[in-house]
Amino acid sequence: MPHGPDPNARAKGGNPPSADTFENQILSLVPSLRRYSRSLAKSDSDGEDLLQDCVEKVLVRRGQWRGVNLRAWAFTIMTNLYRDRHRRIVQHPSVELDDTLGLTAEDVSGDPLEKTRLHNALNALSADHRSVLMLVVIEGYGYQDVADMLVIPIGTVMSRLSRARRQMAAHLAENNIVTLRRPK
Amino acid sequence: MTDDHKPVTEIDLHAYVDGFLDEQRRREVELWLKDHPEEDAEIRQWHAQATELKAAFSSYARPGENDGKLVSKADPARMSSTLWRQTALIAASLILFLSGTAAGIYGERLLSQPAPAENSATFESLPGQSKTAFLVYASEKRHPVEVGADQEEHLVTWLGKRLDYKLVAPDLKGLGFSLVGGRLLPVNGKAGAMLMYQDTAGQRLTVLLGKNPQNGETSFRFESTGSLETFYWIDGAIGYAVTGEVSRAKLQQIAEECYRQFET
Repeated sequence: MPHGPDPNARAKGGNPPSADTFENQILSLVPSLRRYSRSLAKSDSDGEDLLQDCVEKVLVRRGQWRGVNLRAWAFTIMTNLYRDRHRRIVQHPSVELDDTLGLTAEDVSGDPLEKTRLHNALNALSADHRSVLMLVVIEGYGYQDVADMLVIPIGTVMSRLSRARRQMAAHLAENNIVTLRRPK
Repeated sequence: MTDDHKPVTEIDLHAYVDGFLDEQRRREVELWLKDHPEEDAEIRQWHAQATELKAAFSSYARPGENDGKLVSKADPARMSSTLWRQTALIAASLILFLSGTAAGIYGERLLSQPAPAENSATFESLPGQSKTAFLVYASEKRHPVEVGADQEEHLVTWLGKRLDYKLVAPDLKGLGFSLVGGRLLPVNGKAGAMLMYQDTAGQRLTVLLGKNPQNGETSFRFESTGSLETFYWIDGAIGYAVTGEVSRAKLQQIAEECYRQFET
């Protein structure tokens, strides 16, 4: 299981490391944070917003980092931010101006219909289910790691994962669509 | 630890999909799945899902141009960007409100603007639009098409011009269907085209073509509603959908033939 570049990085004497070190460590985490934020968000711009909020929060809260596994700590912050946003959006849906299923340049190489279908299925998941699914499937975290990161019992991780997978499967099957090989 | 009779739990099934089992347990689960076809089918779905998800998001794990700025705390403007965005949202709402007022004054002109949404999400409705076109026009006795097959050349030039695409009317005679004609109609709010075919028994089918705002390529899909079957796909700048009240196998043949002949 990949666990980031420096799971054992530890600040000496409990003090936060020097600004340069900390920021460089964050910088090296940005790509995987970007992937996680995009996997949670509804669009590219939404994903970048979430990433930016997360990096800001990580920098502001650097004093609270206990010096262990910066990647997991940043992922926890991201997950909480995402849950808060999601709750706000559900309560005030009009606030989200850029809620579009953006297909940007890098997406067009794939199958746009397939992507739309997948994104629709993902968007139907609750924030809690989606984050667990992504942490396990995309980010490769173990079940206990996810439980620790989200401060929930491992049983809850498993039930969310089951629920997310079954809901996705049902949603994807619902469309009565089967992919066929092109006659080329 | 690893007892042969240890029952396979749901956690084992997830761990199997996620690659968290050791070699021995993995083999035990595999054996167990052979006797449990229902769970086996579900596991396959989960596997496929995971593959799809990885494919969809893995490309985002890359550095961005402005990552350095994102992380450098020295820029105070960036630190307050959340606040800035909130202000921007308020400003945007205000603009929306004001344009709402403007809409009251210039309503007609604003309403006649085409919808700005241009992404593949709108293309999900392609089979839906194709079914509607079929239901509306295939049952039409006197005017099913605007331009008949007797003017095929004019038909394809005219519709091709509106679609900005070198249109051909596929020859489906080998499959028992001949061209009735075609018409211009809106697809995704833009000029699209419909071609109609019928067999000797009068059974009709329609081929819908619409502009695809994003270039892309898809596989073939089908959708069924009652006795109506629709095959659809996107190929480059054009999205296609073939709808008919024929068997799926037959319609697939027809769709494949269309695909072959539409290829430029």
